[in-house]
Formats: sequence, structure tokens, C-alpha cells
Amino acid sequence: MKTFFNLGLLAAFAVSASAAEVKLLNVSYDPTRELYTEYNAAFAKYWQAKTGDSVNVSQSHGGSGKQAQSVIQGLDADVVTLALAYDIDAIASQSHLLPANWQTRLPNNSTPYTSTIVFLVRKGNPKGIKDWNDVVKKGVSVVVPNPKTSGGARWAYLAAYAYALEKNNHDDAAARSFITKLYKNVPVLDSGARGATVTFAKNGIGDVLLAWENEAHLALKEFGADKFEIVTPSLSILAEPPVAVVDKNAKRHGTLAVSQAYLKYLYSDEGQEIAAKNFYRPRNEAVAAKYAGNFTQLKLVTLDSEFGSWANAQKTHFADQGVFDQIYQSQ
Amino acid sequence: MKTTKLKQLIIAAAVGTQVALPVFAADSAVTGTNGTAPAEIAAAPAANDNSAQQAEITALKQQVEALVQKVNALEQKPASADQTATISDLDQKVRILQRQREIDQDAAVAKSATAPKLSLGQNGFSFSSADTNFVLQLHAVLQLDSRTFFHDDNAKGVDGFLLRRARPIISGTVARNFEYNLTPDFGGSQVQIFDAYTIYHGAPEFQVEAGKFKPPVGLEALQADVNTSFNERSLATDLVPNRDLGLALKGELFNGAASYTVGIFNGASDYNSTVTNTFSQNSKAVDARLFFQPWKNSDLNALRGLGFGVGGSYENDQPATNATTGLTPGYTTDGQQRFYTYNKNVDASGVHWRLSPQAYYYYGPFGLLGEYVISDQHVSNYLPSGSKNVDVHNTAWEISGSWLLTGEDASYSGITPRKNFDPRLNQWGAWQLVARYANLNVDDDVFKGSNVNTSLANPTTSADGAQAFAFGLNWYLNKNIRANVSFSHTTFSSYGGSSFTSSSVPAQAENTLFTRIQLAF
Repeated sequence: MKTFFNLGLLAAFAVSASAAEVKLLNVSYDPTRELYTEYNAAFAKYWQAKTGDSVNVSQSHGGSGKQAQSVIQGLDADVVTLALAYDIDAIASQSHLLPANWQTRLPNNSTPYTSTIVFLVRKGNPKGIKDWNDVVKKGVSVVVPNPKTSGGARWAYLAAYAYALEKNNHDDAAARSFITKLYKNVPVLDSGARGATVTFAKNGIGDVLLAWENEAHLALKEFGADKFEIVTPSLSILAEPPVAVVDKNAKRHGTLAVSQAYLKYLYSDEGQEIAAKNFYRPRNEAVAAKYAGNFTQLKLVTLDSEFGSWANAQKTHFADQGVFDQIYQSQ
Repeated sequence: MKTTKLKQLIIAAAVGTQVALPVFAADSAVTGTNGTAPAEIAAAPAANDNSAQQAEITALKQQVEALVQKVNALEQKPASADQTATISDLDQKVRILQRQREIDQDAAVAKSATAPKLSLGQNGFSFSSADTNFVLQLHAVLQLDSRTFFHDDNAKGVDGFLLRRARPIISGTVARNFEYNLTPDFGGSQVQIFDAYTIYHGAPEFQVEAGKFKPPVGLEALQADVNTSFNERSLATDLVPNRDLGLALKGELFNGAASYTVGIFNGASDYNSTVTNTFSQNSKAVDARLFFQPWKNSDLNALRGLGFGVGGSYENDQPATNATTGLTPGYTTDGQQRFYTYNKNVDASGVHWRLSPQAYYYYGPFGLLGEYVISDQHVSNYLPSGSKNVDVHNTAWEISGSWLLTGEDASYSGITPRKNFDPRLNQWGAWQLVARYANLNVDDDVFKGSNVNTSLANPTTSADGAQAFAFGLNWYLNKNIRANVSFSHTTFSSYGGSSFTSSSVPAQAENTLFTRIQLAF
């Protein structure tokens, strides 16, 4: 009888163990909704096949800077997948929820995919916008989110700045004049990339949207290729959106292992394919070759080569009283 | 759009002219017979009529074509392009303004979600973080009383006004689960800290309270000062501790149908506070209380307001210094006169326990509260000839009733008037009748002795017992303002036929008229 009882207990334990459901919260930036909706389903399938546990990943999206602040202020993220490393650095330095060397824990500086900034214009390109110098022309209305809150906007700002530096023999004053002209053409600043897309595509404001490459493709898909077209400038920036486990939260939730696996799987063939299908440039060369048609080739400069580091870029351009504050407040 | 319409109008006018022409010609002919140019038409040969009309039509056609060309030219003029551009610009500006408004609204909503909140109302002033994890509340209690003693020969009770309580209360929460309260009192004759505690709210069933607060013994003593029926608590409360320093575990079970508190305290003497905020003896008291409201959450309205329980304490009083006796400074009447005190050189010297079965019942405007208290304390009088040890067994009980004349629900935790006082609207607040009877009996053994110096209490100045009857009228102008008037009659009994000295408090019955103006928010 006792043995039978013990076996029953063991069976009950086994059933309960097999029925374990893991919950994760992925705090991400604005345009990754569709990417992670697809990826979460794929990962859940993979994880269940591997461990028997089901994973339910919740998503939170917003301007990258705002999302980072939310995590610092207590949003219980297991993982963060933000637009730029500076925002995750801020989490590490201000809340100590993850170590300062978080970027070394995954390949490619913890950026499993890349992207860049392109132009989305109205069908027929009525203003004839082909490159950055067209964007700063008088009478061209430009839609881009606020770089104080949006990671994509910071990449867009830096892409324009890098173009101006290259065209002016790295004359910083000329580049500053160029970026001033650009933001004089910006009638409204949304807080995030998705809001800016709505402003341009749905509300019909502006002649050109400075957008994440994937967001521009999504706009074509959502609003119709007969209404918009993508213009790829001669030069843009290699945007590297990083990912990281928020160690202390994940440990507290007992989700550290699955959180690590969740991010690691982004580098798998399936993860890379999903990224490419959602118009994020994959790191995996084979997958990149397979989806080469999705991405126009252009000259991509890196943040480090043009601006030194995110810390430098932040301090010079986006911190309070930085260049952006000076040029935008003076309008 | 306008130019297109104009063009259509011109063409229609031209075609209309062509159609109307023969008619106009006929009219002319008719007119001509009586008019100024009949000769020209009349003289025209019939063979030339058709060719002339044809020529005229051709001329008109040319005119129409010319007009169409002019309209086309007008349509293509730069001015129209400007107008179109202006409309487009205006459209963009409107869209931008609309979008900016949306963004501003979103930003305002986001900002309000993270902004601290400030509120001020009948429950006091509150300042909290956006997530309400941190709250600072400011409350105040102000009680201005008057006491008038009758038939006291102006010798004992002093008539006059007094600031009974003047307490700014700082309370709130930190880190969501930690409540705090700091309540100094500027009333009476000395400033002191009445409450200073923090409570960890782990769960309704599990809370930890630490600091200085009311020990869990007496039912009337635990009722908030602003909610008691009379200005002063009854004789029964003379036997329970008032405030004490310690640590307690407490909680509510079954959605409040049962509650418990158990704690360890320094140990306060009968109805006395720990004024110095330190301790005076090595021993500690364990106080505990169980209270039940079995029908609190039921549909049985008649029983929902019934609560009963028992409180008690146990300690082994051993005063550590000569300056403290571990005993009550005295039992007081409703008029706060001491009618019983221990003699000098009498100390607490052993076990002190209390037991207080207690209950209340509230149903509609009716309220009833009662409790019985036993305070049993080992007391010694250290005499040169040898100490005298007595296990003093004092008892007291009270029962009080209330009736809200204006129909509000009576409650242990306060009255909310249905209509606040406002004479302009013929509203007069809530009115409540209250009555109470209380009795305190002192153990006869304290008076036994060969003379007044060998007994533990002096039977000529301390009463063996007191009985008090009181009634009153309470007026709740609103939730924050209350006015009371009450009368209390207290009689005293002496030990074994002893006579009280004429200057002692129990020498004659105490008759006191109380009034109070209370502000509480």
C-alpha cells in the first residue's frame, strides 16, 4: 500500500513537472512587435520540444529610452531587447539588474540582428527625395520621432549626422548646420518609431519618414505598396539593437535558464530566418544570402567609427543641453 | 472644382442661347412689326433667312469656343496652383496640429501616470507616489473640552476648559507594505509621543507591528479617541494598559470574521502610558487578544454588527529602579480625578495578569458595547517590620448604549452623518443619545492592615469601589466636526465602613458636566 502511495505521489509530481508553464516578459522597443510575436511562438515550440515546459512570453513595446527607464523603475523584465546598447547600459548602471559587461555574453556584442535607417516617401516620391541632402531642403516635411525617447530616432539622427560629416570632410560645424536644417523640417516629434509611422502613414503628415528599415517595409505591407515607397540613401548607419537577460529579475522569477535560452535562440537558423523575414538584417551569413533580396545594399557606417561610442554620442548629442536640445529648442 | 463648374455654366449658357435663338428671333419679328426695326427683317428676302441664321450660329459657336479657351486658360493660371498649394499647406498644418495634440495628450497621460498624487478631503491630506507605494498623510485631532463639577464645594474638581487632545498625526506607507504612524500630543500638561509605530503588511492574515501603540487588551481602550461615546473612557478602562512599547503579530482571518493580536511589550501599568519611551523593568509582558465577528460578511443584517472576544495580558512585574513602582498612578473618575492610589513604598512585586471578555453589537442606529476586566497583580509594601504581600484582584465592567436619532448606522469605528450640517439647506447633521454605566471594585485586601501605614492603600482617601452613570448627546456636524455634551454621576464606596477625609476625592459623589468640540480629519 505504501509503495503504491509513493508511486502515486511520484506520478503526481511528474505530471505537475511536465505541466510547468514559464512566463517571461520581453521589454522591447517600438517596431519589434511583429518580429517577437512570430519569434515567441517559434521559441515556445522549440522550448517545449526540448524541455516539455511551455513558455508564455509577454511583450512590452515603446520608445527604447522610455522602456529602459521603465525597467529601471521596476518593470519586471526578464529580458530586454532594445534599440541601442546605451539603453541597456543605463539599466546596468542605474539599477544594477545586470552586469556592466552584459554585451560580452552573446555573439556580435549581443546584437543578433542589425538594421539601418531608410526613407519612406509617398508613392511617386513627389518631392524627389533621393538622399539626405534632399531631406534638409526647404519645404520638405520630415517625420521622425524624438531622439530623447526613441532609439530609432537616435540612429536616424546619427545617420544624418554621419552623412553630413562625410560630405563635409568631417567638419563638425557643417554637420551641425545640416542637422539643424533637418530638424527645422520636422513638424512633430513622436515618442517612438511606431508613433512616427502612424503620423506619416495614417495621419498623412510629412513628405518623408526617417524609419527603421524593417518599419518601412512593414508600412508598405500594412498601408499598401501603392501608397508609399522606400528610398535608400547613399549612406546610413549600421544600427545594432542589442538583447540581454535582466539577471536579477530572471533569477527572482526562476527564469534565468529559459531567459538565456530565449536570447540564444535568436542566433539559431530559425531565429535568424524570422528576423530576416521581418526585415531585420540577420547576422548569419547563409540566412543573409538567402534573404539578400529583402535588403538594398548601401554604405553603412558604424557608430564606433563615427562617434566613438554610445556614451560619447549620448553625452554630445542627446544628453540634456546636448546638440539636439540646442538645435531643437532654438527653433 | 470652381473653374470646372464655371466652364459647365458657360457651355450651358451658350447652348441655351442657341436653342433660344429662334424664339428670340420670332419675338423680334413680332416686336418688329410694332418696334423700331421691323423694316430690316421684314425686308429680308425669304431665301436669305437660313444663311443668315447659319452665319449667326457659326459666330456664336466661335464665341463659345473662345469662352472655353478662356476658361481653360483660367484653369491653368498660376493663381489656381497657388490656391491648391495653400489648401494643401493648410491641410498639412491642420493634420500636424491634430497629431501634436494627440502626442501632447499621450504625454500628459504618461506624465500623470508617473506624477505624484496630492489629495485633500475629509480624510485628511495625502501625498503619494504615482504607484502609491509611498504615501504621506497628515491628519489632526483637536479636542477642546470643558468640565464643570457640581456640589464639589469648589475644593476638588476644577471647572474650566482644557485642550484634551491636540495631535497632529503623520501616517502613511513606505515601500508599499510598510505602514507608519507618528502621533505626538500637545494637549494636556505635557507633550508626549502617543503613537509611533510601523506595521508590515505581509498579508491580511500576517502583519507585524513594532513601536509604541495600544496593547491588545481593552475593547474601549482600543477604540479610536475620536469615536468614543463619551469624553472620557469608563472605569473599566482604568484596569487595562493604555500605550506600550513592543512588537506584535496580528492579522485578520476569514475575511475579517476573526482577528488576532499577540505581542511582547515592556508592560504598562493599569491605564498608563509609557511616557518616557524607554523601559523600567527587566520583565516583559505578553498581551494578546482574539476577536470574532462571525456574521460580518453574511446577509444576516441583525447579526452582522456583533463582535465578541477576549483580551488579556501576563507579566511578572519587577521594577528595576526605585523611581518606578510598576503600579498604576491611580484610578480616575470620569472627571479624571483620582479616587484610588496605592500608598508610598508599595511596589509591583510579581505576576500581573489581566483578562477582559468583551463584546459590541451594532444594528442600524443602535449600538451596545460592554466589557469586563480583571486586573490581578501581586503587590508588596516593604515595611521595616517585614513586607506585606497581597495578590490584588481588581475588577471593573461597563456597558454603554447609543442611539442615533437621525437614523445613521452606529459603528465602533465612527459615525458618518447622512446629511452634513448646513442650516441653509435645513440639514442638521447626525444626533446621537448615549448612556453608560460602569463599576470598578478594588480588592479589599489592599486596605487591610493594622493602620493606614501598614495597608497598601489608605481607606480614608481611596475608595473601595466606584460606580458611574453617564448620559449625553453627541452632535456630528459632519464627518470631521463633532460636539458633545454629557453628564456623569459617580458614587464611591469605602472599605469596611471607613470614612473618607473631607478633602479626598471620594468624600462625595462626583457630578460632572462635560462638553467637547472635536475636530478630526
